[in-house]
Order: sequence, then C-alpha cells, then structure tokens
Amino acid sequence: MAGLYIHVPFCKSKCTYCDFCSYPSEIQKAELYFACLYKELKHRAQQLKGKVIKTIYFGGGTPSFVEPKYIYGALKQIYTCFNVSKEAEITLEVNPGTIDESKLKVYKNAGINRFSIGLQSANSETLRIVNRIHNVEDFKNAVTLLKGFNLSIDVMIGLPGETQEDVINSLELATSFSSVKHISLYALKAEEGTPMFTKYLNGELLSDDEVASIYEASCKYLSQKGFNRYEVSNFCKEGFHSRHNLNYWKRGEYLGVGVGASSFLDGKRFTNTESIDEYTKCLLSNKFAEVFIEEVNLEDAKGEYAMLALRTSFGINFNEYKKEFESDFLVDFSEPIKKNRAYLDISESTIKIKDEYLYVQNSILVDFINF
Amino acid sequence: MSSTVKQNIRNFCIIAHIDHGKSTLADRLIEMTGQVSERDMEEQLLDSMDLERERGITIKLTPVRMLYKAKDGNEYIFNLIDTPGHVDFTYEVSRSLRACEGAILIVDASQGIQAQTLANVYLALDNNLEIMPVINKIDLPSADPESVAKEIEDVIGLDGSNAPKISAKTGINIEEVLERIVTDIPAPKGDENAPLKALIFDSYYDNFKGVILFVRVADGSVKEGTKIKTFMSDKVFEVVEVGTFNPELRTKPSLDAGEVGYIAASIKSISDIEVGDTLFDVENPVDAPFDGYKKAQPVVFSGIYPLDGSKFIDLKEALLKLKLNDASLTFEPDNSTALGFGFRCGFLGLLHMEIIQERLEREFGLDIITTAPSVSYIVHKTDGTVLTIENPTKLPPVVEIDYMEEPVIKANIYSPPEYVGAIMELCQEKRCVFEDMVYIDSKRVKLNYTLPLNEIVFDFFDGLKSRTRGYASFDYDISGYKRSDLVKLDILLNGDMCDALSIIVHKEKAYARGRAMAERLKDVIPRQMFEIPIQAAVGGKIIARETVKALRKDVLAKCYGGDITRKKKLLEKQKEGKKKMRKLGSVEIPSEAFMSILKIDSDN
Repeated sequence: MAGLYIHVPFCKSKCTYCDFCSYPSEIQKAELYFACLYKELKHRAQQLKGKVIKTIYFGGGTPSFVEPKYIYGALKQIYTCFNVSKEAEITLEVNPGTIDESKLKVYKNAGINRFSIGLQSANSETLRIVNRIHNVEDFKNAVTLLKGFNLSIDVMIGLPGETQEDVINSLELATSFSSVKHISLYALKAEEGTPMFTKYLNGELLSDDEVASIYEASCKYLSQKGFNRYEVSNFCKEGFHSRHNLNYWKRGEYLGVGVGASSFLDGKRFTNTESIDEYTKCLLSNKFAEVFIEEVNLEDAKGEYAMLALRTSFGINFNEYKKEFESDFLVDFSEPIKKNRAYLDISESTIKIKDEYLYVQNSILVDFINF
Repeated sequence: MSSTVKQNIRNFCIIAHIDHGKSTLADRLIEMTGQVSERDMEEQLLDSMDLERERGITIKLTPVRMLYKAKDGNEYIFNLIDTPGHVDFTYEVSRSLRACEGAILIVDASQGIQAQTLANVYLALDNNLEIMPVINKIDLPSADPESVAKEIEDVIGLDGSNAPKISAKTGINIEEVLERIVTDIPAPKGDENAPLKALIFDSYYDNFKGVILFVRVADGSVKEGTKIKTFMSDKVFEVVEVGTFNPELRTKPSLDAGEVGYIAASIKSISDIEVGDTLFDVENPVDAPFDGYKKAQPVVFSGIYPLDGSKFIDLKEALLKLKLNDASLTFEPDNSTALGFGFRCGFLGLLHMEIIQERLEREFGLDIITTAPSVSYIVHKTDGTVLTIENPTKLPPVVEIDYMEEPVIKANIYSPPEYVGAIMELCQEKRCVFEDMVYIDSKRVKLNYTLPLNEIVFDFFDGLKSRTRGYASFDYDISGYKRSDLVKLDILLNGDMCDALSIIVHKEKAYARGRAMAERLKDVIPRQMFEIPIQAAVGGKIIARETVKALRKDVLAKCYGGDITRKKKLLEKQKEGKKKMRKLGSVEIPSEAFMSILKIDSDN
C-alpha cells in the first residue's frame, strides 16, 4: 500500500506566514503545469507497480483555487495508471473563499470524499491581517456547502494579535459543525523570507511559553468536544484519523507528484524542484524533475521510524517495528530509552512519549536519531 | 670572522603597537632585500601561526636574516628579531631586546604613540638599545606626521624630526628605512677571540633536528663539534649544526661574535635548556652569565577538559606537542567530579590561556571545556603546614585553614586624562590600592596601582576597556603575596555541587559575585525538560538562587507534506547543538558556560 500526494502550487494570494511552494502570479501556467503533472503520474506509475493506493491528497497552494477540471483530470489519470483501493481516502485542501456548488459537483464526480478546510482563525480581522482571502462567513458557507463529507479544519496558534480566547473561539466554531471530524492545530512558525519573519524579528509574536499555554488549553477544549489528540498537531473524533498523514508517521511509502513534492519509495527519498518552469521543462523533455535523492540506510531508517512514530499518541508498536526491521526496538534504542525513561510511557507492546511531554518532544527525539 | 665583517652586521627588532604595521614593515624589508621571492611571499611572513596572522599579534619570535647592499657600496647583514606585543609576553620581549643593538620604533602617523609601545620603548632603553623612530601609515587621509614627530620628541625625548615617514603598506620610503638601519643602528661589539658566550633568546622543537636554539653570539664563536653547556643546566650537548634564518634555516660553518643564528645539538627536550640562559663552551668556559635571567612562571591556572571524556589521551598528546614549543605552558592531570579527567594548566596570562585554548581547538580539532581561571593561593593551615593551591576544589575545609595569601601585582595603567575618574572607580571596585599618578604629557596619564591578581582574572581588562572606550591599556608585574580574607564560592545545579564552577573570591565580594554568577548561568543554561535551580553557596550557606524554567515548547509543529528530510535536518541541527553540551548530573550545560561566569561586570 502507498499514499499519493499531488501538489497544486497556485494561490489567489499569498498569506503572510506562508513559505510553501505556491505562486499567486503564475496561474496562467496551470494548463501546462497540469499537463506535465499528468505526464509525471503516468511515468511514475511504473515505480508503484503492484502497490495499492490507499490515500490520495491534493495539497497546495490552494487546490480549490484552480479550475476543478484539473483536479478531475488528475484523478482520472490516477485511476487509469494506478491501482487505487475502493475505500481510498481522497482529500482536497480547500480555501473557504474559493469553493462553490459547481466546483463541488466536479470534485464529487472525481471521487473526492474528504475536504481539509483552512480556517486558521474565526476572527475576520486576523484573517485580513495575515492576508487570507476569506472571512468567517465564507467559512461557514463552505462548511454548509460541504455538509455530509468528512471534513477537517485547520486552525493556527500564534497568529498576530491573537489571544487564547481567539484560538478557543476558532475551535468552537470549527467543532460546531457535525461534519467536522478532524482538527489540525498548528503553531505559527515564522519562516525566513516571509513577512511574518519581520514581525518575529521585531518581537511582535507570541513567546514559546505563551504558545504552549494556548496549546494546552486547546488540547483540553478539544478533548471536551470529543476530539482526541493522536499526533502533536492533529485531533479527531474516534475513527476519523487522517489516513494519509498516518501513513507518513508510520513511515509508509508515498509518491509525491508536482513541484516541491517529496516521495518515499523503495527505501529512497526524493523531492521535486520547486520551480514550475524547471518542472515543466524537465517533464516536456521526458525527465523527472528531482532535485534531491537520498538513499536511507538501515540505521537512519530506524531513527526515522522512531522520530515519526513518537510524534503520535500510539507511539511505537514493538511487533510492527520487529516486522519492519527484524530487530527489537528496546534493544536497538536501549540507550535513548534509558536516558529519557522519565518522559516515556512503556507498556508490554508499545512505547510512547508521555502526553505532557509531547510538545517538548524534540529534546527527546534528538536522542533517538543518529543521522 | 674579521672585524670589518662584524662592522657590517645590524641586529635590531621592531617595536610597535598592535596594528601599527610591524609585520607589514617586516614583510617589506624582507621583500626589498630579496630574501623571499614575491611569489612565495605570504602576507606577514613573521607571524607563522594562523592564529597570529588572524589576530594580528605575534606570539612566537621568528628572526630573519637579510642581505642589504647599501648606498655606501658595502653589503650588510640585517638580523631582524621579532618581538611579541602583549603584556603576557613581556619577558619574551626583554629576551629578544637583549639580542639586539637597536630597535625600530613604528609610530602610527594618525594615532601617535600608544601605551604598550611606550612600555616597550622604556624596556629597550633599559637594554641600551638605539631607538630609530619611523612614522608609518602616512598614506592615510588622517595622517599627521608632523605632530606625531613632535610627540616622539615630547614623550620619549628622541628627535622625531628626521624620522623616515613611510607607508609600509604601499611601500613609500622603505629604502630610507634600510639606509637608516645601516647608519643609525650600531654594529655589534664583542670579541671573536674571547671564549664563547651566547644568549639563548628562543627555541622550538623540530621533529628531525630536535630542539633548535635561537642564539645571539656575544663573544667567541660556535661551530659543529663545539661542546656547549648553559648556566642553569648540567647537561652538555655537542653542536651538530649552526646556521642562520633566511627565514628558513640555512647552515653555515660557524656563528661568530655579533651574529644571530641557530644551533642544533640533538637536544631532546625543550625543557633541557631554558630560554634566556647563557650558553658557553665547556672546554673554554666563561665566568658569569648575562644578567636578567628569569624563569617564566605561570600565573594564571585553569582546568582544561575534553568535551568528550574519551578524548583525554588526545588532549594529553596535544598539550605535549604544544609544550614542545612553549616552555612556559605547564600542565598536570586533574580530575573533576563534574567534568571527569582533564588537566590543570598554568599560563603566563589570560591571553596566553586563550591562545592555548584556541590552538587546541583549531590545530588539534579538540572540543574542550576550559574552567574559570584561577591564580595560585598560599594556604596556611592550622596545623602549621603551608600549601599552594591553584585549583579552588583543592582548598582544605574552612576549619583547617588558619589564613590565606593571594598574589598581588603592580599595575601600570596608561590612559588619556579624561578617563582617570572612570579608571579610579573601577580600581576601587577591584580592591586596588592607589600608588601614584604621573602625567606623561598633556594627553596621557600613567596610574600605578597594586591589586590582587585575582581581580585581573575576573574581567578587569574588559571593564577597563569598556570604561575608557578602549583608550586605556595596562601592564603588570607580580610583586608578591598578601594575606587576604578569601572564601570558596560554590555553585549548585539542580541541588548538586558543580566543582568545575567553584571559585575563590574575597569574602566581601562573595555575595555580589555569587548573585551575578547565578544570574549569568541562568542566561547561558538553556531551558530543559525540568526546572533547574541554580544556587550559589559559601561554606554550605546559600547566598543566591535563580531558576531555569522548564522547557514548554520544542516541537516541529507542522509536518510538511511528507518532507521528512527537512524535519530530519532540523533535528540533526538541534542534535549538533546538544553535542556541544556537557552533562552535569541531569543538567546539560553549554561548554562556554564555564568561562562565561567571568564575564560579569560586578556592578551589573
């Protein structure tokens, strides 16, 4: 089994915190881009021969911004070239300001069954400040429109000027709809090169301690609403985990297609160029547009496995680890386990980071990696 | 060698303030006399260590021999003997001065004479050297050679009016300097027919030849087969080879009175022969050595430990190698409960310590932890025994101590008059006793203080620089020991005493220093998974407490669409940072924390 990620690098406008691979001014390249993307799908299919696709994820950028025919076309190509499971989870990221009934009709026909909606904040003033193209009303309309689908909502901690109350308000709005089964709660990270970074340098953003306090209050609030944390930033109602993301954390295989997309197949990690022009140029001359390839050796693989699984509330299952590596986790990692004993929950069959230390996990994880 | 040839030798050194162009002028002289082809000419040839070149300081002496065809038609031999320019190495300066007849004094055409230069000029005058002033950097827009010439006259009493006005950097008037060396600096005296008497002014260890001695022959001559001995050592060595510095070693049949050169005599260890000692021929001995010999004594001590405990042997080998060329470095094995096995090292001063530390890191690639420097204390115990303590952790329990003594120095501080108030204020805080104040001229004051060496070790120099905007400089001499009320200040981290952070301080300063150290440590120790109390204690009594709060957020919050590589890299970076930390009990401490406790201005 494997996951499939499709990158859509177009947006109506760029949010002030965004350093993702997206280009608001290059929408005119969409036609060529998708043509190349379909081509990449076709040629990559070889590499996934015999593997069943269990999850498909359209990320961006803003996948809902481009004409829906491109999404439809991509899925059609995928069904043609890959072996897609009938129960596949097929997610599309949606910006509330870019969705309407006609688009939804196409998505539905294409087989999309899960939407991830970027709310970020239920405060329209905040949304305006960070250059989001939607307001709170747009969000409510979008959720109403998408009623009946499996919905996930993105909310952010640490947006400029936002207090704990603002974040809880956002969560209250997000969880007030019965279709919403999943919440991703991310802490703002000021990335170099973004307008947000200037604010960070000027000391205008929340301190780590303040973010941690809001995070703790949010976890508590979400748990009261029946959303349980299953990964650092992800919460869901019973049984509604993001299967696509779980695959990442279980160190499962996935293929990423499009600019900036990363893949992990047959023990190799590779990433495509972030430039649309370079990407299309390569594909037009019958080449892949990889800019980075890494072969993961056994020791690194074990470290990756630990690093990823320890992000989740399930932690590491000894049997699954043994199946993967034919060795015992407790033996392979005896040193870091001993060193971090106080922060770990160890049972007969699993090991995980104690709930209260999940948000300071890097200090623990560094002992588990030896890259 | 006939006396006419001796007439053609000029032995000289260059005195200059840091950055006034000493190495650049030396390079130009070497270049103009054609010793080194321009292609091989690496900037600042004399400063052979990377560290010297980078910092613009000279640590090791490197003599160079040059041949110069003067306008009078004769060929002259120039021996340039370089001098280090820092107070830690004053003794080395005095050694090399005694190998010369003259000194070129470089004065910066815009900055004038600086304090440190002045101290060395006086040292040169004490050694009866002919001083030849040169005004450098006349190419700079801010240059004012006329008033600098006058200053030379006012301050030193030398005629500055016909001093060559040069630019070593652009090569202006270098020819004049060469001519003036011939005319102004006396030829060496000495009797080549008298018994051999030579001054050893430096040495280094060569892997093939053994110890290479740098000598100035005063009388007589030395050649292959001469059996040599010094006054301070009983060992006799047979000379294998003599020669000169060009600047690489070049053999020569003999070294005669007036000459500067090297001797190789299969000497195995640098400690077999002391620099500064007098060398003579065993078969034809002289009665008395040159006066002024003194053994370089370490005055500052600190612990050096490998960051990774398993690198102890590597550290030992590195120190042994450094010691081959630096007789003033001392070290002995030491053991700290906090830091494991390491060495207690002795240095000539704080700069010397920093240099050794940097060389260990750079030339030997070692990650080391250096503990706060200490001085040596004399402890009189109640049972009548007397101990010398260089390591605070070796201090006996309070009840066993009758009283203690600490080393005292005489310091000369040179500064423009407007900073006298600020200097006096600093000196008061540092337990200084005012001795004297002299106006050198309208722009410069010399203040004399006696103060405990211990105070110099704790950020005195930084304090002086910051309060005088960098204008003041100082030098010092150890003057003896003084009874003093001293206590040991301990630091507890998470309840455990950290011996590597203990220091000895004056009782009245303990409280303020303890508080400052705790505050400082709070800033340098990163937050960890649990709360860390930091306590300062004197004799078991807690006098200050700070807390490093527990870490609350340390997580890669967003998983970038499967970009695991990026995530790995971020963790890797964090892991690298962690490797630079030393674990004390359960607390991780960055290695710089041990030194940072010094960087406390006590009035902060």
